[in-house]
Amino acid sequence: MDFLELNAVTKDFPSRSGPPARVMDGVSLAVRQGEFMAVLGPSGCGKSTLLQMAAGLLPVSAGEVRIAGRRISAPPPEAVYVFQQYTRSLLPWRNVRDNVGFAVEHRLGRRRARDVAEVQLGQVGLAGFGDHFPWQLSGGMQQRVAIARALAAEPAMLLMDEPFSAVDALTRLDLQALILDIWTRRQLTVLLVTHDVEEAITLADRIAVLTQRPASVAQLLEVGIARPRDPVTTRELPRFLQLRHQLLNTLLARHEA
Amino acid sequence: MKLSRIWPGLVVLALLLAGLEAAVNAGLIRRALMPAPSAIAPVLWGLLESGEVLEPLFATLRLVFAGFAIGSVLGIAVGLAMGWFPAAFRLLEPLVELLRPIPKAALVPALMLFLGIGETMKITSVSLAVLFPVLVNTLQGVRGVDRVMLDAARTHGWGPAHTLLHLVLPAALPFILAGMRISLGLALVLAVLAEMLTGQGGLGFLILDMQRSFLIRQMYAWLVILAVVGLALNGLFLFVERRALHWQPALRP
Ligand SMILES: Nc1ncnc2c1ncn2[C@@H]1O[C@H](COP(=O)(O)OP(=O)(O)O)[C@@H](O)[C@H]1O
Ligand SMILES: [Mg+2]
Repeated sequence: MDFLELNAVTKDFPSRSGPPARVMDGVSLAVRQGEFMAVLGPSGCGKSTLLQMAAGLLPVSAGEVRIAGRRISAPPPEAVYVFQQYTRSLLPWRNVRDNVGFAVEHRLGRRRARDVAEVQLGQVGLAGFGDHFPWQLSGGMQQRVAIARALAAEPAMLLMDEPFSAVDALTRLDLQALILDIWTRRQLTVLLVTHDVEEAITLADRIAVLTQRPASVAQLLEVGIARPRDPVTTRELPRFLQLRHQLLNTLLARHEA
Repeated sequence: MKLSRIWPGLVVLALLLAGLEAAVNAGLIRRALMPAPSAIAPVLWGLLESGEVLEPLFATLRLVFAGFAIGSVLGIAVGLAMGWFPAAFRLLEPLVELLRPIPKAALVPALMLFLGIGETMKITSVSLAVLFPVLVNTLQGVRGVDRVMLDAARTHGWGPAHTLLHLVLPAALPFILAGMRISLGLALVLAVLAEMLTGQGGLGFLILDMQRSFLIRQMYAWLVILAVVGLALNGLFLFVERRALHWQPALRP
């Protein structure tokens, strides 16, 4: 069953001079329930725009977005967005505990939100850091806080916008393992946007490749590597290398002989 | 603040007082216009010791605090509304831009026509002076709230009221407090001025009254008291501000 559907989604941004700029042109994409899908594309092609429309944070210019069968026009309760810029999405005046409680405090109240936060912090390996402020933590830990916050809402789906692009390579591997673990345990549906080919192959069931602006889906392929995937040995598999070759060529718009 | 940081400034102050003392004693400054500091000090001490200082001091402080509170609350409320609701902004922006540049001191005579010379008029004058810097800063703070943060609230299902109270207000707080600090100084100016113009109560009236009665040493003694009040108010505010913004790394000790 498809959990998230984008049907012929088009996006125009008004431009200062001249006609509106078309960033996305008739994108159709369906993410199955429980699937991990990656969207791959060059910088500036419209990945964040796509994800924000899927999250109901940005209106579509044409077409429709459906989540769990319902057409959405505002952020739905089933899906939570994890932002690329964790430094801007966490509240600097709140400690880590209250930043995670953010997800549920408007429903449960501040006190019970704190209890929820403590549990979630344990799940992302940050037990005992509740009293710290975000600026006291490393980038990787701040992104863990953002992930704990998203999980605290107990969403059916995570929409992740290049969540690991701002951390160093080793931390990235760590966080990728964390996300895979959470995805498995919670049976989440994930749509992850990235410009990192290896990240897409390591994590996803299927990969959608976007073209340059105006973006459309250039390619949709099945990864087909067995799980659980080891972050080190997966990268040495023939299938991994073959996919990497193919995807890099598509992204670089080169044709194979 | 560390003593080692402030002692150079204190030395300059002491040198200035000593110089003034010497200049008056040498006849370079007319004693009738500027008595020697050593002649003012006993008068000042007398005012403090007798408790004579208390009533006018409290009269002025009452004006400052009442006006500051009313002006701040109004400024924050209107600033939040204008920053959050585009309709409120379009409705009120021309009015605010028109009233803002008027030095509020110039409005006191007109206010006296409507409200007389009592507390109401004085508090209104102070509130008006406080209102605009707080309003404009609040507005700027609200408009500066990061879009990403607002989107985070939306994706987690926060409603508008919760967002305004728990995201927009705290995010704008550094701006609001900066506006309030400017306004606190203005509040004291307007309180003193209103007291002078109405010829009633408080430190402002006494300073003018002593000058008119040729009680020059008394005038300077009250002036010193006023200066200390200004200093204390600012210090108090900085203390409160630092506590409210304790989370800012730059403000940490
Ligand atoms: N609010 C906006 N107004 C105008 N243009 C925008 C806006 N947001 C994004 N764009 C443009 O849309 C394109 C896609 O942006 P984005 O989705 O952020 O790309 P990506 O996430 O793939 O790097 C970019 O060229 C960007 O300049
Ligand atoms: Mg992006």
